[in-house]
Amino acid sequence: MAFGTARAPQEQRYRLAGIVGLCLALVAGAVCAQTAAPGAPAPQRAADGTEIPVTAPPEVAPSELAKISPLCEAPFGDIATPTPLPQLAQVLERKGEIRVLAIGSSSTVGVGSSKPAHNYPNQLGGILKKNFADLNLKIINKGVSGEVSAQTAERMRRLVLMEKPTMVLWQVGTNDALARVPAEDFKATVVETIRWLKQHDIDVVLVGLQYTPHVARDEHYHAVRKALSDAANEERVLLVRRFAAMEFLARVRGQPLLGPDELHLNDLGYRCMAEHIARSMVVSMFMRVKPRPKPGQQ
Amino acid sequence: MSLRSANAVDFWRGLALASIFINHIPGFFYERFTHRNFGISDSAELFVFLAGFSARALAGRRDTLSMQTMMLRVGARGVQLYAAQILITMVAIAMIAAAAIVWENPLLLEWHNAAAVFQDPVQAHVGLVLLSHQLGFFDILPLYVVLMLGAVSLAAVHRLAPWAILPGSAAVYLAAHAFRLNVPTWPVEGEWLFNPFCWQLIFVIGFVAAGEGALAFARRHSLLLRGLGLIGAAIGLSIVVFRLWPDPLRMPEPALLFVVDKSYLSPLRLFHALSLVVLFAGLFGHISARVPAIAGYFCLLGRNSLYVFCLGSLLSLAGQLARFHFGGTLGIDTVVLVLGLTLLGLTGWLSELRARLKSSATASRE
Repeated sequence: MAFGTARAPQEQRYRLAGIVGLCLALVAGAVCAQTAAPGAPAPQRAADGTEIPVTAPPEVAPSELAKISPLCEAPFGDIATPTPLPQLAQVLERKGEIRVLAIGSSSTVGVGSSKPAHNYPNQLGGILKKNFADLNLKIINKGVSGEVSAQTAERMRRLVLMEKPTMVLWQVGTNDALARVPAEDFKATVVETIRWLKQHDIDVVLVGLQYTPHVARDEHYHAVRKALSDAANEERVLLVRRFAAMEFLARVRGQPLLGPDELHLNDLGYRCMAEHIARSMVVSMFMRVKPRPKPGQQ
Repeated sequence: MSLRSANAVDFWRGLALASIFINHIPGFFYERFTHRNFGISDSAELFVFLAGFSARALAGRRDTLSMQTMMLRVGARGVQLYAAQILITMVAIAMIAAAAIVWENPLLLEWHNAAAVFQDPVQAHVGLVLLSHQLGFFDILPLYVVLMLGAVSLAAVHRLAPWAILPGSAAVYLAAHAFRLNVPTWPVEGEWLFNPFCWQLIFVIGFVAAGEGALAFARRHSLLLRGLGLIGAAIGLSIVVFRLWPDPLRMPEPALLFVVDKSYLSPLRLFHALSLVVLFAGLFGHISARVPAIAGYFCLLGRNSLYVFCLGSLLSLAGQLARFHFGGTLGIDTVVLVLGLTLLGLTGWLSELRARLKSSATASRE
């Protein structure tokens, strides 16, 4: 690929700086009851080695924040494994501006929703603002439909430079799976990009592949799903497992989250996606321990 | 259609066209052999440089062509490119739709930024015609259209104040970096992948390089230029091999000038692309002498660049669809490669056959 490549030497330097930091568990608010089995605490520190301040508990218990509406309810443990978002928590704490760069393919663009306000980054912004009083949040939407991860990764370098985000919300995988990009190449691109973002103290939230009945039997599709899940586990970033959520809602509830073409999310689909991401983010922001990732899940 | 004899410009242009066809299939096995894997620029730079180089011929010599004729000629070429862009975009949309219907997989409708066309057709169609909505990988031709229409004024300035061309172009390029100017897309929020304010520079450099003065200068200082080219190529290769990519967030301001970015045609990419040009420009003679068949093939593609480019864009899409359906195996990739390159050659051959028949018909009438 032309650009999506590692910056290994710098990486080592900054990782070294990171290792100096203390392992710190984020204290504060109760972890949502559904979060999976507890495991080893995740080392939490800013890249310069300073401890991350304890996030002030919100006025309401986190378990009450960003609740999923009944229409979108799915087992939370399947949707996301809470993973700390230290930068977000930090900026929230000092009431700074939270800049979320939403990047990825067409569900970021909001194709199929009835108006732009209904695409998921905008809905996510709405939900978060409802839950945190005086939240200074800016959502920067830079989706390009049908783009594979290597293209997004290349674009991301410049976009991050230009937009200076606190967090990158990266929707990724569906198009690589369809384009038959080898799963290992895909994983390498994602891992490298995550590392670069983390080196620069930018939180990452990955949003996984779409579900449609058409791809449920596709081997390569599942290989890419697994690669994404592995990448998220290894790099300890939050992955919102969209496939699992959508599959659950489609199979168990029989809800049409996709538009008439069975591809694009309709307004409800975007809302559920936004709710699931918001929920995962909120739980992650106030989490205390990092549960062990469940192997093989996406 | 002129039937010129094999020359270096056609050869490199043909090579760029074949590379574009290959590079535009994500995950394609043979993609790893194109020159972008050995440096920091790719065939797009080569293609646009050569487009500028050939535009010089279109603009004609000062003494042989009136100003109006020249401007009309360049403008007409721009309109022709625009027509080609609309045509291949429509065919691509139909290919994507047909694949979704035949394979009953609507996920395909999302490819290549086509989703908006199917989901939001009212706005997307306006965007397609205005070139503010472009399909992924179908975004070079819009740049070329803008450059060629811009070349009408470029050609005029070339007549009136040739010394102003390069400084003017460089000023626009720097302004685009300093003020982060680009053309926005609509209805999908975004910006052009090939930022025309930046990419015009390599087009203009090509235009200037085709001038007699510049060519004479290059001949006089060929050793110096090749030395510089070697340095540029070595820098590009080391960045790739030793992974020394400049980190955008660790660069001094204006950081955009120091990163390696395609949209803004970063100075490093530009330098690398021009290095390759000066380094390899003289190689055509050797290739042509040693492997005339290969030289002839790429020249054939380059001579018929618009047709070959258009078919190549569609073949890349066909290749992606084939890989989706049959799997991305080495066997499938080989079939796609061989079939693709054959069809590109056939396109060039047919277009020249037509030109030959036409000229012989004219000759027999006389």
